[in-house]
Amino acid sequence: MCVLLFNTELKLFVCVLYFAKSVELTGVKEEQAVAVTTPISSRDLWGLLVQRHPRLSLLQDQVVLAVRQQYVAIGDQSVTLGDGDEVAVVPPLSGG
Amino acid sequence: MDQSEERKDIFKLSRDWLSVQEVVDAVNSPTCGAVSLFIGTTREDQVDGRKVIGLEYEAYELMAQSEFRKLCGDLRARWPSVTHVCIHHRLGWVEVGQASVVMAISSPHRHDGQQAIQHAVTQLKATLPVWKKEVYDTKDSSWKQNVECPWSSHSQLAALSEREKSN
Repeated sequence: MCVLLFNTELKLFVCVLYFAKSVELTGVKEEQAVAVTTPISSRDLWGLLVQRHPRLSLLQDQVVLAVRQQYVAIGDQSVTLGDGDEVAVVPPLSGG
Repeated sequence: MDQSEERKDIFKLSRDWLSVQEVVDAVNSPTCGAVSLFIGTTREDQVDGRKVIGLEYEAYELMAQSEFRKLCGDLRARWPSVTHVCIHHRLGWVEVGQASVVMAISSPHRHDGQQAIQHAVTQLKATLPVWKKEVYDTKDSSWKQNVECPWSSHSQLAALSEREKSN
């Protein structure tokens, strides 16, 4: 008999990109191999990044994330991450 | 409308100065009687006694491509007669007076093109992952926030004052 045990929370590694003000706050543009769990709420994902770079908290309320190039607001929504996924910190836009 | 003409959506991020003619040529079509154009230029603003000498642009390039495609999809859903769309956007240093963005839309008749270009400018400012930093003659700088962006501080303030009005 084969018993399958599913971990409801997986640990994996994503790549995090920083832009604009968040580069100035963290001192980095890109981080490889950032450990995350999945699924994770966007609030917890943000919290994880603030833990790595406390000065990011200055962006509180004026930031969203992008996961696999889709905007995700910081809140309760659950985000599913895959190994090697691209996550970005997105301060308020000012294109054009 | 010639159904065999493939509709084009062209997006370019450039560290070089932008050519308006290149953008116009990209959307030109014998089926189109109108090319609607928008050129965003860097303004010499005065902020708290400091003068803007230029803008520094950066972008999440991969995502700018996908957001551009969504923008075009939205335009074409609203104005099906829109034929070609071309947007060129600067990256890097843009001096006062230079073009930061050039957008052109071709359409058989002018009404749809004119409507579409206005909407495109608003949507670009609301959704394209591009950021600009104002650089002043005092050598300091500040990151700008588009009012169109839902997570800008202006949006927060607007939402807050709306809530306060209804209380």
